[in-house]
This record gives sequence, C-alpha cells and structure tokens, in this order.
Amino acid sequence: MLLRAFVVLVSSWAAAAHGAPACSQIVVAASATAPSEMRAWLLRIHDAASRHNFQGTFVVSGGGNVASARIAHFCDGPNQYERIESLDGRQRRVYRHNDVVHTIWPANHVAMIEQRGMLSSFPALLQAGDDGIADWYEVRAEGSERVAGHEANVLAIRARAGLRYGYRLWADRASGLLLRAEVVGERGDILETSAFSDVVIGIRPQPESVLNEMRRLDGYRVVRPVLTPTRLEAEGWAMRQLAPGFRPVSCVSRQIEAAGDTGGEGAAPPVIQSIYSDGLTYVSVFIEPFRAARHAKPMFASIGATSTLSQRHGDWWVTIIGDTPPATLKIFAAALERRKP
Amino acid sequence: MAIDGFDNISKERLSALADGELDPAASTASCAAWSQDPQLRADWHAWHLIGDVLRSEDLATDPRHDRAFCARLRSRLNSEPVVLAPAALAGPFGSRLERPSHRGRWTAAGAVAAGFVLVVGTFAVVRPGESPPAQIARNDTAIAPSVTSAPAPEVSTQPVAVVADSKVIRDAQLERYLEAHKQFAGTSALGVPSAFLRSATVDSAAR
Repeated sequence: MLLRAFVVLVSSWAAAAHGAPACSQIVVAASATAPSEMRAWLLRIHDAASRHNFQGTFVVSGGGNVASARIAHFCDGPNQYERIESLDGRQRRVYRHNDVVHTIWPANHVAMIEQRGMLSSFPALLQAGDDGIADWYEVRAEGSERVAGHEANVLAIRARAGLRYGYRLWADRASGLLLRAEVVGERGDILETSAFSDVVIGIRPQPESVLNEMRRLDGYRVVRPVLTPTRLEAEGWAMRQLAPGFRPVSCVSRQIEAAGDTGGEGAAPPVIQSIYSDGLTYVSVFIEPFRAARHAKPMFASIGATSTLSQRHGDWWVTIIGDTPPATLKIFAAALERRKP
Repeated sequence: MAIDGFDNISKERLSALADGELDPAASTASCAAWSQDPQLRADWHAWHLIGDVLRSEDLATDPRHDRAFCARLRSRLNSEPVVLAPAALAGPFGSRLERPSHRGRWTAAGAVAAGFVLVVGTFAVVRPGESPPAQIARNDTAIAPSVTSAPAPEVSTQPVAVVADSKVIRDAQLERYLEAHKQFAGTSALGVPSAFLRSATVDSAAR
C-alpha cells in the first residue's frame, strides 16, 4: 500500500476496498487523491454489484424526464442476471444474462436480442490501472448520508479539467452497492439523478426466473442488431485529435434500428459508430452518407446530462452523442476528417 | 423632471417618456428615436442616474461599472446555450386524464413554442452583427438592446447549443442514435450494472 507524504485524512473505507489485510486504516488525501484510491472506490462499487443480490425500484430523472423501473439483480458465481421492468411510458422488460441482453416490448410483440461485449471490459481496465481516470477526475469522500433506507458513503468526483461532468455517488456502507448517482454540471448544477427509491440487498437469488423469461420468445418478432467491428481508418476516416483524456474503445458498422419498431423501412445504408471514453463517461460518433430528405437540420442540444450534435460533413452526416458538456462534442466534430473520397 | 435647454423635440419627448407622460403613439416614436440615436440613449441613462442618486446616494456609482457589467453579461449570454423550460410530463399522467382534445391543444401549442425558440436561437448565432439591432447593441451605453450584439464565438454555420428537454428534440432519428449510444453504457467505470440500469430504465424511444 502506497503511503504518500501529503496524505492527511484517515479512511478505513478505502482500506476495505483495497482489501488491505495488514493495516485496517490507510491514509487518504483530503483533496487530491492517489490514482490507486480512485480506482479502489470505483472497483468497490463495481464489485458490489456483481457480488450481491438485490431488488428495488430505480428512478432516473433529468432534462425534464422521469423514468422508473423495477429491478432485480442476481449473482451465481461468475454469472450475472438482471430483470428490469419499466414502470413509465410503454411497457418494456429488459433481461440480462452476462452480456446477452433481451429487450421486450409486449405491446407490439417485438424482442431485441443483443450481445454487449463491452459490458465486461471495464473492470479489467480498472484492475490494470490503465484507465487514466485519475488523470482527469479526483475523488473526495464527503461523509455519509441515508439513501433508500441505507447508510451510504458519499463520494464527490470532480473533473480536474473541463469537457466533462462531475459526479456524486452514494455507495451503500455495508455492501458498496451504488444507491444513488448524480451527474453534476460545470456550474455545480445537478443534470441527472439516478437512484434507488427502495432497495433490498441480500435477497435469495432466482436466476432461473430470468432465464425462463429469456427463453420465452414465442410469438415475438426477434430483432438482432448486427454490429460489425471495424476501424475508423478502414472506413476512410480519421480523428485528428481526441478531446483530452478520451481514447477510442470501440468502432462498429451497424444499422441504426429503432428499438421496438414494428416495421423496417428498407435497407438504410449502414452507420459507423465510433465510441470514445475517458473512463467514466463516453462519446459516440455516428457517420453515415448524407441524405437530404433525412438530414434536414443541424442540431446542437443537451437533454439532462446527454449532449447531441448533428451536422453535415461534405457528403456525410455526422451525429455525436455524449454524456459530456456540449463543448466536448465540438472537439470531436472539428477533429473528424475524411481521408478517402 | 426639469431639464433646461432642450435642443430638439426628441429630448423633450424622451423626458416626457421618462416621466410616463407620453401617449402610445408618441411613446413609439420616442423609443424609435432612442434606438437610433446614441446621444439620446446617453441622456436617457444620465437622467435615470440623476433620478436614482436623488433618491439614494448608494446608487451614485460610476456608470462605467454598469456598462462593463452589461457588456460582460451580454458576451457571456451570447456564448451560453439557449435555455428552454422543460415541458410538463405528458406521458402516463396525461393519458390517464383521457381528455384528448385538451391535451392535443397543449401539445400543439408547446411544439409551436419550442419550434419558435429553436428558430430564434439559431437566428441569433447564424447572423451575428448583421441586422440593425446588432449595430445598436455595439453602440455602447449600458442599456442598449442586446439582441445579437458581440460577435458569437461559434463559426456562423454551426448550430447553436440548446438546452432542451426531450420533447423539444423529439425526433425519431435522434432517438435511434440515443438508443445506439446507450448500448455502450457499460463503457464506463460506473459500468455494469450501474450505467446499465440507468440506460435500461430510460426508454428514449418512448419518451
């Protein structure tokens, strides 16, 4: 365990997160935290969700919208199971078994089956310490508060530089489970809150209940989005520079399918989706051929914590979406370059 | 307000306007003169300053501070996204009311209003400093109208940033991108399942 000269504050919580056997208390800087510690907090939050069985009501609000869902999460050794039922708007159920995700719209009998390989990639990055998160964010413990009936440790994650939002996290003191998260804007305003309004941790796991539902697809039109891995360069594009701290994590060629749509509208040209992340947040860059009928107006907007930019780029139409301030998207837009005619 | 030596009728009118003694037609004429004559605006500001100081000495500040403040505010406002108020939730609550005609009217009105604001916002950035109001704004005195004023930092062909709720940009195409973006919600250190729960709870296509 690295002890640094500037450390001042004692935190036993981080010690538990590190799994430090010898010293039950390690020393933590009040303001500037060691990179290892940032990772420790995040890893604990990560691990909590994969080690505990819980059930509750989850509410996300931001940008004038409120959405809530009933959630059950089960673990069985390395396997993860989830059932999410939306409580607002049209009926929708999401089932997850590791990185296989089924989304079901009972009203129009559509089921979407996805392989989300990305779901499992980040813990590895965190463990390797190769995430770079601590270069761009700093974390500070802010005491404890009660959330959804549980005593929680409060963590403030502040962006060291602009171009990204900050966060406040409430992690259950006993289990480490993330009970509440706020996305904090550049002026300290809260852009989005996601939180359990009630949650029971340590329930009996019932993975079969999720698996049974995932097998029951009779009478459903099954949609399987095809994501073909590619590289931006191979598609004739280049990013001259990335917004500071962001790095490419994935690039796919795909159809943009409206989830839950009943009918297709013919074969639209495929869209390139290139994904960038700074470890905490991420940005998608979509590129497709320009079609005048479709791509009438450029747009630059924010909804809650999500920003959107779409504009024409020669014969192409570029849409950039990120959970970042709008200025970050502009950097991506300006850096995108067509290399091949 | 007693002021000697009016050199023209405009000043007389402006003084009457300040005292609230003009009829609507004369008020309009006086405001028009005010918007075109920097000297009149300076007078207007000076008279109000005199009145303010007569009422309270605390208000006897250097007008340059006000002017500098207004200029700074104006330039900051210009670089800010246009803020639109969120619309009321229409989804589950509205449908329970079962008053389609009533709802339809409000939705339409809201959509028109939102569209209008978007258009205005775009206009303000796309044409900085071209129209007469912009020239007025550049002509100092702290109370000049600030419709488009200082040169916008954005390249003029780029769309303006809009802070919106999803009703404003309810666009089927955009929702598809949002869905596609959300599929990578695990691409975060808060990742599985926290970010996944967040993205799975919010159904952008149904909002």
